Amino acid sequence: MNNTKHKHRSYVRPQDSSLGKGANIIVIVFFTFITVLSLLPILLVISASLSSEDSIAMYGYSFIPREFSLDAFMYLFSSGDTLPRAVLNTVIITFSGTVLGLAVMCPCAYALSRREFRWGKLLTVFLLIPMLFSGGLVSSYMVNTQILHLKNTYLALILPGMCSTWYLMILRNYFRTNIPDSLIEAGKLEGVSPIRSLVSIVLPICRPVVMSIAVFQIFGYWNSWYPALIYIDSNHNELYPLQYVLVNIERTVQAMTRDAANVSGMETVTVPGMTMRMALVVVTVLPIIVLFPFFHRFLKTGMTVGAVKE
Amino acid sequence: MPKKTHSSLSRMSRKENRQLTLMTLPTVIWYALFCYLPLFGIFFAFKDFTPVPGDSLFENLFVNSPWVGLRNFSYLFRNPQYVDVLVNTLIYNVIFLIAGIVIPVSLAILLAEVHQKKFTGFVQMALVLPYFISWVIVGYCIYGMLATDVGQINGLLKMLGADPVQWYQSPEYWRGILISLGIWKTSGYTMVIYLCSVNAIDRSLYEAAALDGANFFQRVRHVTLPHLRTTIATLFILGVGSILNSDFGLFYQVPMDSGSLQTVTQTLDVYVYKSLMLQANFSFSSAAAFLQSGVGCILLVIANVITKKIDRDSALV
Repeated sequence: MNNTKHKHRSYVRPQDSSLGKGANIIVIVFFTFITVLSLLPILLVISASLSSEDSIAMYGYSFIPREFSLDAFMYLFSSGDTLPRAVLNTVIITFSGTVLGLAVMCPCAYALSRREFRWGKLLTVFLLIPMLFSGGLVSSYMVNTQILHLKNTYLALILPGMCSTWYLMILRNYFRTNIPDSLIEAGKLEGVSPIRSLVSIVLPICRPVVMSIAVFQIFGYWNSWYPALIYIDSNHNELYPLQYVLVNIERTVQAMTRDAANVSGMETVTVPGMTMRMALVVVTVLPIIVLFPFFHRFLKTGMTVGAVKE
Repeated sequence: MPKKTHSSLSRMSRKENRQLTLMTLPTVIWYALFCYLPLFGIFFAFKDFTPVPGDSLFENLFVNSPWVGLRNFSYLFRNPQYVDVLVNTLIYNVIFLIAGIVIPVSLAILLAEVHQKKFTGFVQMALVLPYFISWVIVGYCIYGMLATDVGQINGLLKMLGADPVQWYQSPEYWRGILISLGIWKTSGYTMVIYLCSVNAIDRSLYEAAALDGANFFQRVRHVTLPHLRTTIATLFILGVGSILNSDFGLFYQVPMDSGSLQTVTQTLDVYVYKSLMLQANFSFSSAAAFLQSGVGCILLVIANVITKKIDRDSALV
């Protein structure tokens, strides 16, 4: 895929567009509508978190807060160390997962990008097979808990998501098309080792794709909750990442409403109020929304490099 | 002279090969541990897993558990719940497969024609954002809308004088809700992929078509779509390969695991998770997972072969 020629033209000049002025306005109105629709759920949740608990109990959620209040946020950050701990966990997991993943994948992708590398073809097949066939949840669970002993550790939240064939292929293809062979040859003649040439020649030139994969990984780890659901027991809640704290609150509420019917003298578990829950959602999603405009331009490289094909 | 360069390069190559091999080692180890080691779990599907506490996993699987042939699979298919689950998974995936091509392609074609560059950029960003919002967050947003007492929609219904709906107890609405959410989350992302292909089309082709008197739809039909063929085929083949997979978050987390919605929300991944985690039924859930992986793999190969017959360039391999 040779997109480079057109890279800088991501729009049409009015005289080239097949839309007339009128049609153009209709299309713009249409896309404005779609955009609003796309952002709606997030706007709603931000609004809900800024409403006072009473106004929600009285009127329900609304798009514009009826009674503006920051109480929920104040309370979240002043009540115990659960939330700061969860934020810290998420940051640790996101940071170490992203850095480790790139440190493992970049050298491998570089080796794969070198056409004369002897094991290149074989290794590519080795990496592609898991895309087609996997052992499934049961055996990964058994392996990770009984052989690798990852249950209730940070590693369970970091290691399983670290590499991806998809990312490796994106990196490999980008390295291949953007590093001139002559540059590698020149390095070789000067006796530079492959790892040195990766660090000092390839990575600086290929910053866009490395940033792109980094951003994918950052968002991926920040959003991950499935490993915590499977590998972290409820008596290890000091390991909960932010997303899983949310999952857990919701499960507690479900369990309570389920049991409330038949158990009357049940121990009362304190569940955060509605605005609090929504405030927690905002705390979790806000970093993504704030960083997204800055990260967005990096994403595109990774999304558009032909991944499987050469 | 060229001969000499060649020999010196290949000599260097042997050492270099070793160094390059070393560089791939961490990835190879990761794949061995997290992808290839779990592959032996295929045996779970053909065994009656009866672990003896204290024994290692391999002893438990290969020594302590008897072979049962295809019994796990026949149990699976005789379970009416499983058949429902299978049907659900297929329905959702076929819809996602079709909508996942038609909607993003149409959006990309339309957006490519918009004159205002800043607007196009902003729309792309806003439409891609849902892809990076986790289903946990989406689940809460939807709860804010649909909660029976305080939800947005019921508030609106009350204002209009209609009866509020018990959304989390009414399965009839949920197919629509889940399908819309699935489309909402991924369409923008896929659209950007198509948009890049659309933008890479040589504009002079459009001018030529316009000179021949082609209208907008004819241009799309004869210029744009043929250029998108390869991208569409790639995403289609991958989609066919994951026809039995489903987004666990969408089907488990968004309906808040509500029991009364199970008939329409339970897909294969949710079923596997539940029978493993809640019933500790290893043989059952690994048989289901084996089927998922095996069928997906076979369908992917078939889809690829068919695509290759129709159009050589569009196939994956």
